[in-house]
Amino acid sequence: MNLFRSEEHVERWLAGREPGATIPVATLAALGAAWWHDRVDPGWRPHTRAQNQAILDGLGLTGPFWRLP
Amino acid sequence: MDDGDLALRNLTYALVVELGRGPSAAEVADRAGQSRADVLAGWRRLHEQHALVLEAGGESLRMANPFSAVATPHRVVADGRRWYANCAWDAFGILAALGTDGGIETTCPDCGEAIELGVSDGRPEDESLVFHSLVPAAGWWDDIGFT
Repeated sequence: MNLFRSEEHVERWLAGREPGATIPVATLAALGAAWWHDRVDPGWRPHTRAQNQAILDGLGLTGPFWRLP
Repeated sequence: MDDGDLALRNLTYALVVELGRGPSAAEVADRAGQSRADVLAGWRRLHEQHALVLEAGGESLRMANPFSAVATPHRVVADGRRWYANCAWDAFGILAALGTDGGIETTCPDCGEAIELGVSDGRPEDESLVFHSLVPAAGWWDDIGFT
């Protein structure tokens, strides 16, 4: 899970391998905040699968790639 | 997760934030007033629940997600302090968890060029960058060190 200069850099780095998913860094920032914002709060409790899937869905990260087990 | 393990987990995270690195089991034991063996037993239960990640052998901390207890190519700088993140996603997560602006330091895996990205109010200052995940969500915990 890396940052790249651009989609062209991702394609070159893949070098023919099966791609995963590429998203804009602004979406990643929103995902990072929604997923991790409470991790050092004293009242933290484990997220449920449904909570985490709702975070992905809410950011438009849908489809088989983003489906949690 | 019972209250004792939750308290151990929260103390471990607090020490990661405070120290800027992963604490040893002995450091956590000292702070908690417990034995090192009790801390390791608790850490192993938390590892099984994906509440943190131990190194192979179960004797030391590898991840207190989104923080990394080992050096990685992803660093976060905020308030004059530094932490390692497990990946680019987690780098944003550290800033969000700390509730602060800061910077993310990493490199583009393709060209090797350094990326220094400021983040203010949760927004990246350079929106031309992209993020790539190779592994589908269903497989993230198959090998949490490779996603």
